[in-house]
Amino acid sequence: MIVTVILIPFIAGILVPAIPFQKRWQKEVFLETAVVLNSILVWYLLLHHSDSTFLLAHFTGNLNISFRVDGMSMVFAGLVSALWPFATLYAFEYMTKEEHENVFFLFYTLTYGVTLGIALAANLLTMYFFYELLTLVTVPLVMHTLTREAVLASRKYLYYSLGGAAFAFLGLIMVIVYGSTTDFILGGVLDPAKTVGKTNVLLLIYVMAFMGFGVKAAVCPFNSWLPQAGVAPTPVTALLHAVAVVKSGAFAIIRLTYYSFGTNFLKGTWAQYAVMSVVMFTIVYGCSRAVKETHLKRRLAYSTISNLSYILFGAVIMTPLGLVGALTHLVFHAVMKISSFFCAGAVMHQTDRHYVHELNGLGYKMPRVFGIFTISALALMGVPGLAGFVSKWNLAGAAVESGNPLAWGGIACLLVSALLTAIYMLTIVVRAFFPGKDFDYSTISDIRDPNWKMLLPLFVFTVFIILFGVYSQPVVDFFIKVANGAV
Amino acid sequence: MYFILLSIFFPILAGLFLLIHYRTPLSGEKKNAGRKSLLLLTGCSLVITAVFVVIALFCEGEGFILFYLTKDLPIYFRIDNVGRLFSALAVIVIPCAGFFSFEYMKHEEREGRYYGFYLLVFGVLNALCFSGNLITFYLFFELLTMSSMPLVLHSGSKEAVMAGLKYLFYSLCGAYAALFGIYFLYRNCDSLTFTVDGALRASAITEHGTFLLAVAFIMLLGFGVKAGMFPMHAWLPTAHPVAPAPASAVLSALIVKAGVLAVIRVLGMFGRDFLKGTWVQTAWLCLTLITVFMGSLLAYREPVLKKRLAYSTVSQLSYILFGLAVMDETAFVGSFLHILAHGFIKAALFLCAGAIIYKTGKTRVEEMRGIGKEMPVTMWCFTIASLGLIGIPPTGGFLSKWYLALGSLNSGIPVFDVLGPVILLVSALLTAGYLLPLSIHGFFPGAAYDYGSLQKREPCKLMTVPISILTTLSVLIGIFPHLIIAVIHMAAAGR
Amino acid sequence: MNFICNFPFFSILLSLFSGTICSVLPAKAAKIVNRVVIIVIGLMSAVLLLYLLSTGESFIYWMGHFPAPWGNEIRAGVLEAGMALFFCIIMYLSMAGGAHKLPGEVVESKHNLYYILVNLLLSSLLALVYTNDMFTAYVFVEINTISACGLIMIRQVGRTIEAAVRYMIMSLLGSGLLLFGLCIMYDLTGHLLMSNIKESVGLIMANGEYQIPLIVSVALMCIGLCIKSALFPFHAWLPDAYGYSTVSSAAILSSLVSKGYIFLLIKIIYRVIGFDIFNSTRIIDVLFVFGLMGMIFGSLSAIKENDIRRMIAFSSVAQIGYIYMGFGMGTQAGMVASIFHILSHAATKSLLFIAAIGLTDVSGGSRKLNDLTGAAYRNKWAGAAFTVGSLSMVGIPLFSGFISKLLFAQAAVQVEGKMLASLIVLGISTVLNAVYFMKTVIRIYTSAADTPYMSITFRDRKPYTVTLVCFILLNIILGVSSQPVVDMIGQGLAMFA
Repeated sequence: MIVTVILIPFIAGILVPAIPFQKRWQKEVFLETAVVLNSILVWYLLLHHSDSTFLLAHFTGNLNISFRVDGMSMVFAGLVSALWPFATLYAFEYMTKEEHENVFFLFYTLTYGVTLGIALAANLLTMYFFYELLTLVTVPLVMHTLTREAVLASRKYLYYSLGGAAFAFLGLIMVIVYGSTTDFILGGVLDPAKTVGKTNVLLLIYVMAFMGFGVKAAVCPFNSWLPQAGVAPTPVTALLHAVAVVKSGAFAIIRLTYYSFGTNFLKGTWAQYAVMSVVMFTIVYGCSRAVKETHLKRRLAYSTISNLSYILFGAVIMTPLGLVGALTHLVFHAVMKISSFFCAGAVMHQTDRHYVHELNGLGYKMPRVFGIFTISALALMGVPGLAGFVSKWNLAGAAVESGNPLAWGGIACLLVSALLTAIYMLTIVVRAFFPGKDFDYSTISDIRDPNWKMLLPLFVFTVFIILFGVYSQPVVDFFIKVANGAV
Repeated sequence: MYFILLSIFFPILAGLFLLIHYRTPLSGEKKNAGRKSLLLLTGCSLVITAVFVVIALFCEGEGFILFYLTKDLPIYFRIDNVGRLFSALAVIVIPCAGFFSFEYMKHEEREGRYYGFYLLVFGVLNALCFSGNLITFYLFFELLTMSSMPLVLHSGSKEAVMAGLKYLFYSLCGAYAALFGIYFLYRNCDSLTFTVDGALRASAITEHGTFLLAVAFIMLLGFGVKAGMFPMHAWLPTAHPVAPAPASAVLSALIVKAGVLAVIRVLGMFGRDFLKGTWVQTAWLCLTLITVFMGSLLAYREPVLKKRLAYSTVSQLSYILFGLAVMDETAFVGSFLHILAHGFIKAALFLCAGAIIYKTGKTRVEEMRGIGKEMPVTMWCFTIASLGLIGIPPTGGFLSKWYLALGSLNSGIPVFDVLGPVILLVSALLTAGYLLPLSIHGFFPGAAYDYGSLQKREPCKLMTVPISILTTLSVLIGIFPHLIIAVIHMAAAGR
Repeated sequence: MNFICNFPFFSILLSLFSGTICSVLPAKAAKIVNRVVIIVIGLMSAVLLLYLLSTGESFIYWMGHFPAPWGNEIRAGVLEAGMALFFCIIMYLSMAGGAHKLPGEVVESKHNLYYILVNLLLSSLLALVYTNDMFTAYVFVEINTISACGLIMIRQVGRTIEAAVRYMIMSLLGSGLLLFGLCIMYDLTGHLLMSNIKESVGLIMANGEYQIPLIVSVALMCIGLCIKSALFPFHAWLPDAYGYSTVSSAAILSSLVSKGYIFLLIKIIYRVIGFDIFNSTRIIDVLFVFGLMGMIFGSLSAIKENDIRRMIAFSSVAQIGYIYMGFGMGTQAGMVASIFHILSHAATKSLLFIAAIGLTDVSGGSRKLNDLTGAAYRNKWAGAAFTVGSLSMVGIPLFSGFISKLLFAQAAVQVEGKMLASLIVLGISTVLNAVYFMKTVIRIYTSAADTPYMSITFRDRKPYTVTLVCFILLNIILGVSSQPVVDMIGQGLAMFA
């Protein structure tokens, strides 16, 4: 069953170029059906999960590829499978203007399977395996346009990701050697008998592995691939570079911290302070770069960098509440950022405008898109009543509760970042709706909102932003259960 | 309790409706018809909301929880006396300025947007007054910034947009500083429901006392941004003048007061006993006094009328904050009286300035010679309001300053108990210096003035009546303060 | 004595004889003989391997039934047989993969010479693997050198001759040092048979006399073999030799020849000096440091390289560095990792060389990275194979490279003092590998707008493509079910001692 949900996207993806579709709509129906079906299966699986581990293959020694559904995987797999059908729908419309559709949809769908693989992995090795695979299947997506820029971006993406994985690998080794098992167990698997006297080395390797996985989560100073990868088509940037890929990095870090090394081992050590400082710096750094950036998608990418570090910040607080905060932001940010990215994509699709200063007055011509953009902007800023506030509240609450002075400083970083978020998001909104007295509206007279395939996902995400904002309790309760290992 | 909800959500929904329905500019033949219906809608909404608020003001009750944001974050509304007083101020000023804008905004293109946001601000302000806990307050505090920003950048000129953004970012900066504090309060209090005598756990005070003091200071600074407290006051003189005059009136009279309201609430949460005599109080007193003096001085040097009024707002708001910082009941009464008096006065003054601009297009003070002959009603109101701001008996301004000075002298804080009143007095002199010349030159332009050029330019009733109402009220507070003072005492006692 | 025990001797002799026969055969027949011989030897090694696995013991085979110290001995254990089998597989695939290029690279009249050299090479490799006699080893080292040299030089263009001369000089220097070491060793112990030497060395160490000469001798042998296997900083000969020789030669040289020397070194470490004694000297530290430096500098040179084959050649320097790092750790686990890496690198590197030729073929024969733009679209199989090779080199799970990386890292953790250095360098080196391999992969998958070159499909070149597929499978098998291989290596090492 678990393997099925990973395999279906693989098969569907490979069938896309293999089946000679007569018309485009047939392909659309085929893909959408496959993706929706798979998502339903995933949800079915998550809701009726059993605690057993499914062993796919032995690797070497006691290492094996196996899958299991636990709390964390429920969160991530649930999130991914909820978003994918919408993103696919959006992609159909967006890709009408792009070439090599088949290749695109092949890898786009493959990525779905791989991401689920990461989510459902039962041990560190399996996760690492899918983590590497994720890099490989997403490279063609970044390279999609095959322009020089795209090639350079994908090259950088590869270097960074594979390089990061190389260091994450060291963490894997440590867990293999010093842990009692590589399976994910909340609280960590390190064997105290083996680690005596090796604490500092283990911590050093933890920091390296953190930074390694952190590459995908765009931790400073390894973040520059993300804005560059924005050359990919928007469905990719939105879904992969705001959710699937980058969140895999964050997810991996959470797994490493909470489920492999264990917070008891890490809490209060220099390693925690080190990674927390890095994360805090990234929070502020990403935002300030976003303020300076004038390319719309790159600006959002920098925003993603900062927001990913929110998640990591929650993770490195290393308390159950911190994990709750991290998970909340993991899910809520996904919805918010995908919504804002899709808006940006809609603008690019409809008007072919890419820079912030070209957006003057568009708010009146594309009221739905920019209305939704405004909501996602407010949500990202953390206005109460929208999703962003809840996650920020949980993060800050965890930081206060942890009693760690550095984490208190982290709250300040969160807030500075919120202010910067306001600056870079709201200037866009203001531009779109208040283009200035002498703005010539005739220059944008033939621009209008996109069709339903683009708008439907946007509306759905907006509904979720608001829903999470005003009624997040069931979700957060679930996260609390996850963080306490009750799921 | 339904009226609380109605007074909050009716204007918000009405505002949203206007925003959506009138999103394209009115122009051409339809302009008149469209405008009529727009004004009708706005007017009705204003009046209906006002009625709701008035009814809500007389409600008694424990308050109620609308829903839970997260498990222990209720959106909670409650009416207490602090909220009542603020709300009373708002319910008078907003409709007055609203009706004033019917005339003032006549020639604007995007009126629908203006009134839409205007109504939003009304609703949000009501919500702010009726908020029962810090998180609800914070929610509407943010929304207030968001909904009032479009009023600032309404004209759409480059300058206005920049001013609007400056306002936005300063406000958010303050709000986030406050949020920082809220996070810590949340952990160290049993609940975030407003109190007047401190909600911090005793254990928290003993453990993290020093840190919590810093948190309190950050929160005060943060909310102080909205109230234009030094060193984060710079947005105020930029943003207020570029907004349309009625919007400036609302900004100066009410929206900046949201900062004051916030400070009152925070003070209640931490408790006077916790803050009294600490470095936080000293620093805060210093900042307010600096602001009082600096604001007046800058206003004195400012040639543009609306800007001058904006600087004056900076200064006057810090009177209020000073009164709060003293943490003495008499001073608290003074502060509150000043909130009301200054609200009415400043609204009246800005509306007068608006009327002058609307009729003559003059913005600079030196151009306004002889204006009193042309617009006698407006200028009489202006003069009376000015006297109130300076603090001449029997206006409300006199009374409030009296209480402020009295409270300060009673407080027994070393140095500041005397320094405060002195600076207040000096500032009052400066106030006279920057406001009275306008009246003097307006009515007595001097022998050399060309009387022939004068023409009757009195604006229509839509403008003069709101101004007169506000001016009258500012005087009435000073003459019949007893009821209000009684309410303030109740508010101070937390009832 | 079981008949199967003759197999090592048969295989050495068979390849030697076939080499001789080839000189009188026409080119075509020589090719067939060569293939058949490789297959037969491969089969024999396989059978031998199965036999050894079933008995679980190694055996010593006296040539002509003369016992030591007069006779010459052959020794076969699991490791030797496995290595021989593996060498045959790689050799066969490399020959098959490069066969179509041979007519273009070597003049018609020299084809049978080519096969002679290949056969000789194989025999010398087998001898290095099996022999139990130091002097025999030395002799076959020389044969190996000469035939390798010939393989490089047989493509008679300017660069190859220069490369061959360079190779010759460096190699002879290496064998000279090996001979010196051998002489000193002979002086000290009076034996040439490995097992006898080992006994004497044990005595010398126990006595505490002649320590320094012994270490000098070991050091000389090590350095000699290091030079021959192109350990950094003795790698100067390598890029040219691998980069300009014929395809098959490059594949064989990079994956087998250097590995033969390394295997000899392993034998010396285990069978001549003794693992513990070797580890107690500082030599392993030197090897360790050189290995680490090789991992980094080899990759750095590869990054700078603009010629795809030289790039792959430089990558070998880095990979050899891995192997020596494993030696340098001085533990059993490190040794297992090194030996596994010998296998995985051989499988991968020859795949890369063979795939690279497929890519250059569809790019007008140019080896410049620029011209390779979009080559993977023109030759899909070569592109896929190159990608697989690259991923394996970078150490992506599923492929053999990952397992060696895993083994190295696990081994490193057990060595207190060297753990951090090796782990960090392992990480850095992976990053560097990713840089140049992935750069190339992306390059070949970047579509060139208008390309003058023809595409090649599966049908055009069946044997070649099948070879590629075999290589890919080999890589994946090593990557997925590595446990039996690792077990076998462990068993083999146990038999060594």
